[in-house]
Amino acid sequence: MLTQEKETFMRRTKAFVMTGFALATTLALAACGGGSGTSSAGSDGGAGSDTVQVAFVPKVQGIPFFEAMNTGGQDAAEEFGFEWVYSGATTADPAAQADVVRSLVQQDVDSISVAPNDPNSMAPVLQEAADAEISVATADTDAPNSVREYFVSQASEEGIGTALTEEIMEPMNGEGKIAIVSCGQTASNLNAWIDVIEEKIASDYPNAEIVDVVYADEDQAQAVTMAKDLMNAHPDLKGLIGPCTTAAPGIAQAITESGKVGEVFSTGVGTPQAMLPYLESGAASSSVLWNVEDHGYLTAWAGWQVAQGNEFPSDGPFDAGRISGVTFDPETNILLLGEPLILTAENAGDFDY
Amino acid sequence: MSTVTQEKAPRPVPRLRRTPIIEGQEAVLIAVLVIVGVLLAVFTDTFMTSANIQTVLYTVAPIAIIGVGMTAVMVTAGIDVSVGSQMAIAMVVVGKLLRDTDLGWFPALVVAVVVGSILGIINGLLIVVGRIHPMIITFGTLNVYRYVALQIFGDQQVSGVPDDLGFIGGSVQAVTFGIPNALLLAMALMVIMWAYMRQWAGGRHLYAIGGDPGAARLTGIQVNRKLISVYVLIGVLVGIASLVQVGSGGLIQQNVGIGLELQVIAACVIGGTSVLGGRGTVFGTLLGALLVGTVSSAVTHLGWPNELTNLFVGIFIIVAVGIDLVRQKRRTKL
Repeated sequence: MLTQEKETFMRRTKAFVMTGFALATTLALAACGGGSGTSSAGSDGGAGSDTVQVAFVPKVQGIPFFEAMNTGGQDAAEEFGFEWVYSGATTADPAAQADVVRSLVQQDVDSISVAPNDPNSMAPVLQEAADAEISVATADTDAPNSVREYFVSQASEEGIGTALTEEIMEPMNGEGKIAIVSCGQTASNLNAWIDVIEEKIASDYPNAEIVDVVYADEDQAQAVTMAKDLMNAHPDLKGLIGPCTTAAPGIAQAITESGKVGEVFSTGVGTPQAMLPYLESGAASSSVLWNVEDHGYLTAWAGWQVAQGNEFPSDGPFDAGRISGVTFDPETNILLLGEPLILTAENAGDFDY
Repeated sequence: MSTVTQEKAPRPVPRLRRTPIIEGQEAVLIAVLVIVGVLLAVFTDTFMTSANIQTVLYTVAPIAIIGVGMTAVMVTAGIDVSVGSQMAIAMVVVGKLLRDTDLGWFPALVVAVVVGSILGIINGLLIVVGRIHPMIITFGTLNVYRYVALQIFGDQQVSGVPDDLGFIGGSVQAVTFGIPNALLLAMALMVIMWAYMRQWAGGRHLYAIGGDPGAARLTGIQVNRKLISVYVLIGVLVGIASLVQVGSGGLIQQNVGIGLELQVIAACVIGGTSVLGGRGTVFGTLLGALLVGTVSSAVTHLGWPNELTNLFVGIFIIVAVGIDLVRQKRRTKL
């Protein structure tokens, strides 16, 4: 009887300890995997307070687009000798992103640039950073209603929207039905581009019509399905626009799988390596982008300048390190990289991201 | 003594209880699908076209394939929320091998199955040895596996994967008798699992474990071995589903599979699988996946804003779970 009781007790204790241990491990690993990863590069100063620390928080870590920005930022850090801190969440979740920004505030970096997933929920977090006397900025996507000092714009909304409209209208000869497969429904830069496309088509192309705008989140498989649905629902559809880096290859894939290359045209905002096969097959006519590495470089350069108390020249185009033709608008505090880059089958192979 | 006699019992054991081939919730789902189909045929002239039906059926295929495994897991009162990250690992491994070596489709299948079963064994062992709720374990491995997948990606998406798996992909050529090959594969897996869970003793044991694991153990069922096997099964099926995904296009991005677990669990729950264990069929899961696929396509064809899909799927889940809970209550009252 006694041994039996003892055995039960021991078994229970063992189970309890194991449960606790496994739970702790799981949580620790979950925290690693779901939270954030930090990578820094730049000068040998490390965490030393004498080196300027310029941080950038992407919408999501691990996708080629932001990794290319990271590469540009690392280049600038090496060139000018400051520390570049690239840190983001592994999901495009506004709350996870806010946590990353807060942890950077704790680390007391000198400047933080954020590509906000949700500009509105990022605003109070940026306020917290500003209260801690950290210079705050946005890049890629603006948060206009926040305390951000400046916004590093890859291309003007007007520039991208106009380029997308012209690139889809050219193969369509300016007429026919088009549909848009976008990503996040709340992404303000995507919505601004879509607004420009809608205005341009309404004003300049009387024989063209946007039949639908759908949102596939950042999910390529979803974008493929939605593009196919659109082609099925509108058998006379002639053009598809995918204004984000998962939708652009997604719609081109849908055109390929439906056997409609040459019948339905597509353009979008896609990264060069992802778009190259579709540009070569004709499933995508072009891809509108900017030099993403240069955008990361400019973001890092701007953070470094501001951390030193410098201001941007506002009297026309200037050189920011290796990049020429950068402009700064003191009215809106927008730092603009330049004109968009049009990728085609000929030049997409020149970029390695 | 008694256990020995039981082990000698002939297998497969014929079912004694009378269960109709189609159960209540399945009949309801078939009726809903037919009604939705008829309405769409009336109100749109584009939904009931072969191209569109093929699109819907192809989209449903990977959900249905993983759903076969998820149904088995949920019947044992478990759950596997790590399937999205498992798929990311399987896809990046298969994608890289196809691109960098001249592998061909059959070795790719073997690799996918091996990778899937390893990930499944890890889940199963942690659940059985740690005796922690599968939700917690697989929530942990969801994150761990995503980390592993991102390491294999190495900050680079996989582009330029050759077309070896195109025959089960989403192309208009990858069809047989008008049905996408991917869905035929899903249906074959479903029929095998349906027969196993319905007719074989081993399959019925899954329901026994979900109903009452203690009682199941007392009747001589090797509960732990059975539990590990269902997590291996779902891993293998995720591997197979990842081949279907790789078949659709030469580009694999790092965020692949995020949110997949929710789509699969939605299909199971709408198909009548109980979140409390002990009840559910793979046929119901296929119908659930078909209903979700049909509705999300229908929203586009009707020209409605596509966020309505979320609303409809949400309502389906709540109604399905509601029906399940009402039934459960009625059963305990009797």
